[in-house]
Amino acid sequence: MKTIRLSYNRIEAGQTIASELAYLPITLSTANGSVELQGLLDSGSTVNVLPYTVGLALGFSWEQQTIPIALTGSLSKVPAYGVIVTGQIASFLPVELAFAWTQAANVPLILGQVNFFMEFDVCFFRSQSAFEVKPKPSRK
Amino acid sequence: MSLTELFPNVKLLARADKLRLIQFLVVELAQEEGISLLTAGAEYPIWTPLNAFGAAETLMKMLENHKATTA
Repeated sequence: MKTIRLSYNRIEAGQTIASELAYLPITLSTANGSVELQGLLDSGSTVNVLPYTVGLALGFSWEQQTIPIALTGSLSKVPAYGVIVTGQIASFLPVELAFAWTQAANVPLILGQVNFFMEFDVCFFRSQSAFEVKPKPSRK
Repeated sequence: MSLTELFPNVKLLARADKLRLIQFLVVELAQEEGISLLTAGAEYPIWTPLNAFGAAETLMKMLENHKATTA
């Protein structure tokens, strides 16, 4: 099974190695749009989170959403809805990812336990500023 | 570009972008003044939805329904 190895990088301005995080290049798509961006691998996040502007770029209409999602932490103050998006990483087969689409625009794309980490196995090598990603064993 | 030219463009920005602009200006000014933006007692956003189990359950059900309708 293929594995990709990537380096930690700095999306936000930062001067030290401590500011480096595991951002994964991912293409998100729906029938109405496609976006290439960097998703933060956040194993502490229970769910995937989609920033508001990215949802709009994917063709979602905020007014037409019907499934509210109650988030926690700072995002608990902002409305969110559940949406399903196709995610493509490197040359892996595309996978359906469920996101909490938040009205917050300044949040990063968060790849969390449900369901990113249920679809991909990830190994962090923080001392080497690297991480590896591969699809779960049932997919190729 | 002068402020007179800038203001009409700022008015056209989306609400979220206006807020980002405010944030940018605050950071810019603070950096110029050498002011630390971290203040004791202040609240800083932590975006990670930790222990959002209700949200996780809802999204899992959405995925199940999606798979059932697209299978």
